[in-house]
Amino acid sequence: MCAHGPEHLIPETLLSLLTSVAWPAAIAIAWTIGEIAYRLLSLPRISSYGVAGFVMAASQGGFLANPSGQPVALLAHFAFGLILFELGYRINLRWLRVNPWLTITSLIEASGTFAAVFVLAQAFALPTVPSLLLAALAMATSPAAVLRVANELQSSGQVTERLFHLTACNCVLSLFIFKAVVGYWVLASAGTASEAVWNSLVVIGVSVAIGAAFGVAVPALLRQLGNIDRNATVAFATAALLLTAVTHAFRFSPLLAALAFGLVARHRRAILSQAQRNFGTLGDLLTVLLFVFVAASLDWHQLGKGITLALAVVAARLAVKVAATTVFAHLSGITWRKGALTGLAMTPMSVLVIVLLEQTRHLKLYALDQVAGLAAIVLLLEVIGPIVTRRALVWAGETHQPAGR
Amino acid sequence: MPLGTFKASESLTMGIELELQLVNWTDFDLSGSASDLLHLLGHHTFPGEVKPEITESMIEISTAVHHSHAELLAQLRSIRDALVRTGDRLNIAVCGGGTHPFQRWSERRIFPNPRFNQLSSLYGYLAKQFTVFGQHVHIGCASANESLYLLHALNRYVPHFVALAASSPFFQGVDTQFDSARLNSVFAFPLSGRAPVLFDWQEFEHHYFAKMEKTGVVKSMKDFYWDIRPKPEYGTIELRVCDTPLTVDRAAALAAYLQALCRMLLQRDEAPPVEDDYLVYNYNRFQACRFGLDGVLVHPKSNESHLLREDILATLARLEPHAAALESLTALDQLRDEVTGEGNHASVLRRHFADAGSVQGVVDAAVTLFRQGRRK
Repeated sequence: MCAHGPEHLIPETLLSLLTSVAWPAAIAIAWTIGEIAYRLLSLPRISSYGVAGFVMAASQGGFLANPSGQPVALLAHFAFGLILFELGYRINLRWLRVNPWLTITSLIEASGTFAAVFVLAQAFALPTVPSLLLAALAMATSPAAVLRVANELQSSGQVTERLFHLTACNCVLSLFIFKAVVGYWVLASAGTASEAVWNSLVVIGVSVAIGAAFGVAVPALLRQLGNIDRNATVAFATAALLLTAVTHAFRFSPLLAALAFGLVARHRRAILSQAQRNFGTLGDLLTVLLFVFVAASLDWHQLGKGITLALAVVAARLAVKVAATTVFAHLSGITWRKGALTGLAMTPMSVLVIVLLEQTRHLKLYALDQVAGLAAIVLLLEVIGPIVTRRALVWAGETHQPAGR
Repeated sequence: MPLGTFKASESLTMGIELELQLVNWTDFDLSGSASDLLHLLGHHTFPGEVKPEITESMIEISTAVHHSHAELLAQLRSIRDALVRTGDRLNIAVCGGGTHPFQRWSERRIFPNPRFNQLSSLYGYLAKQFTVFGQHVHIGCASANESLYLLHALNRYVPHFVALAASSPFFQGVDTQFDSARLNSVFAFPLSGRAPVLFDWQEFEHHYFAKMEKTGVVKSMKDFYWDIRPKPEYGTIELRVCDTPLTVDRAAALAAYLQALCRMLLQRDEAPPVEDDYLVYNYNRFQACRFGLDGVLVHPKSNESHLLREDILATLARLEPHAAALESLTALDQLRDEVTGEGNHASVLRRHFADAGSVQGVVDAAVTLFRQGRRK
């Protein structure tokens, strides 16, 4: 140690100190900005977290190193796992059966988005695989933004309910197609057939199975312990943490697993109490981290690529979703207006895309660099998506606060 | 606005209004879905009437005017079926019960219409805390004076209805130890309680209502939250102390009980009501509210104490010839079974709480009970 001399020791220690403080500091700063912007501008908090995260990222000259592959990434996956669990828990499969027009809406809006974005990407001369990846990712609505905004506004009504159900469905469809495209891509890039099947079908099947197993086991355990409703939050959060870690370690899909966990747990009829929406304070804290994480993954160099494509994709995606939900509004039992607002509310997609890409890093699929326009879409919708969802819910008259806010 | 003439109607006809809860299927909290449900109901012919209520998580349904218990029950059941069917298409659960066991009133949304907005700004948090659910029973009266007579003659029987209908033991997440916590919310309103003892409609109209109106405190009968109030435009008296029961069958049985009681009272065999009857009124009402069928009733004339349970059974026995004439013996049998067997719906809900261990489980049970026996 003496060989290095004190002049080396001090900056090194300082640097490692700063690195270890960087994330907590970033979370504190993002949270503060979120609260200020919420009070002054009525901006959804998560939009501000995104802006703050992007500005603080190292690639933008800030102090946050790119979090990809860092330990903090696992925390972000966990945060998103909790959100997906909650979304799955709010899905009533019986509704999709009783009201088949809702199921049809879902299939049409998801497949329509896929087709429209694929055609658009081809028109912008994107190669086939990146076009397919972009189209698959564009199908999904981000559950994180949707749930956070709806819970923040204590929103309830048809737009809110449908938003949750359509989001859950298009996420599942998007993940399936994404895995299929990845399988195809592995096959195309000199991989073996077994590798391709593994990366699509097996990953999907096993992830869902593990999630479902948790969905059966955890409520059963709770019943054994005596279902005291305060315990349920911690129990489900702990299970979601375990599930995320296990599926991540074995390179299955933590997203599908968490969604399946929530869905099965709900239909096993263990009842969560209202206090546990968003997983309370734990969920609030992790959400700040998640949205900062997502924006900090972006490099402004990536943003310049395909900005026109990005704008075109955002517009086409919105148009298809609004058209589908409006066309089937009457048949599925709501007004045209509420139908259109449901489509509008489905704008966000960022968190899902970044977390999904992060979880498929081992495939060396550098989609943010390779798929032109993707990074720009992510940043754009990370900020604008929650604002649009918020407006849609307020216009629908489903929020708790007076319409002015 | 003057009171208007009392529009006489056929004696002993009946109709029911029920305020119902709209809850979500995920955590069984109230769901602000009245507008959505009413929109979809508007597309089909509905076997009754349905209206919005003050907050977005409640609706009010009403039946037509009926002569018999069987007709009334049939209509209530088809209303129930239509509501459940429509609710299912929108992922909304509908249920009875006088309170929602754990809703937080601060989270309720006022239904957007001028009267509700005005009530909300006048009563402030009371309006939202008034997210409670009652059953109103109307009985037709041949004349205005008959309505005032019946209204007061019923005074000693009001606790029967409180106890039989009580279905609101839980409020704001806890067991209040009251069988009907809902009535405590109603009591917070300045114009709740009972009507002044006047038996002549002219006197009621000119010496009471007109004076009240002149004070500016009230504009119409709607501003009185009395336990029983005359409804001149329908030609009825309206009993308002019942919690909404968990099933429509119970709601119909309660109406039949009131119908039979009115038939008996109109024979005027009992000593006529007087102001002093009301000395024990609030005490009796409290007993029924707090202890349900186990409450104690002080007879206003004899000052003897009886268990409510016994007084109801005795009354049911006295009503038999009237029920036979009105063809409502089955309804009275149902109530007798309630009193001697499973208890009121407050007891049913408490048992579900003991089983499920959570207030969410209580709403789950209420939703299941409301749907029971529907035609698919």
